[in-house]
Amino acid sequence: MRTHQFVLTMVLFLALGGEAFSQKFATKTGTIRFYSEAPAENIEAINKQVNSALDTQSGDFVFKVLMKGFQFEKALMQEHFNENYVESHKYPNASFVGKINNLSEVDFSKNGTYEATVSGKLTIKGVSKDVTEKGTFEVKDGTIGGKSIFYVKLADYGVEIPKTVMKNIAETIEITVDVSMISLNK
Amino acid sequence: MLAATCMLAGIFVYVFVINKSHPDYAAARADYALNAGEIFEAYRSDKAAASSLYDGKIVELTGQLTAIESADNEAYLCFVLDEGLFGPEGVRLHLLKSENNKVSTLQQGEWVRIKGYVTGYNETDVLLEHGSLVQ
Repeated sequence: MRTHQFVLTMVLFLALGGEAFSQKFATKTGTIRFYSEAPAENIEAINKQVNSALDTQSGDFVFKVLMKGFQFEKALMQEHFNENYVESHKYPNASFVGKINNLSEVDFSKNGTYEATVSGKLTIKGVSKDVTEKGTFEVKDGTIGGKSIFYVKLADYGVEIPKTVMKNIAETIEITVDVSMISLNK
Repeated sequence: MLAATCMLAGIFVYVFVINKSHPDYAAARADYALNAGEIFEAYRSDKAAASSLYDGKIVELTGQLTAIESADNEAYLCFVLDEGLFGPEGVRLHLLKSENNKVSTLQQGEWVRIKGYVTGYNETDVLLEHGSLVQ
């Protein structure tokens, strides 16, 4: 159901203002990294097949990632992540659907780095939460790079960490989103 | 004797369970062999059924290579099978780093056989990780 809602949003996102198609930017090779710092160990996982799209006219910004695509250093941690923590067989993806709040301060037609705040719904493990995060958009010769580092409390999204491994996994993890989008009109 | 047994058990658990290595995806035997169009259509027509069959499995795919992409020192092989709202849709394979040197030998339009770990379908593409070329 949530997947259908996301697709519908994406369809609307791209259908609205169809006459200004050149203002849609996207990538399928974005990166999302998460990092957990805990007393016993630090854990990092990276996914390099993130779908992301931006409408520079409306400020709509979305990304979607398949949970099974996160790569861990340790195979066992990857197994636990998929099978126990995020249950990727039940909730195969995470997504963000939102909008740039200060769109008037970002000039997507001019090279430069612009600070932005983005608000929207972040969905992980089937739980959607309203979030507002800071980030930057870097416009460079027709490409738009989007970067943001923010923090997610696992319990807020129904991710339960067993007491036996509480020293191994942080309650709040750092998420880094890094996407480089090109015009869909190319 | 008991202490030695416990120590050996501990070493075994540490090496083979806690720190077990990832599979050698390039050498691993594929769970399924089919063509790129078949797996794409399987997900599009019945995502739940295809997911239960292919998600988390290693598949060997044959297909016509339509694009080779690179980003951030990573290489991706793309099998475009349809045109959607986000542009081309199909099957996308993220190559293992050890396979990147083979990319220069590939040509667009060439028929290739690849292998990879299926991470799922994101409503536009079937995504594979740990990709390699099958000789």
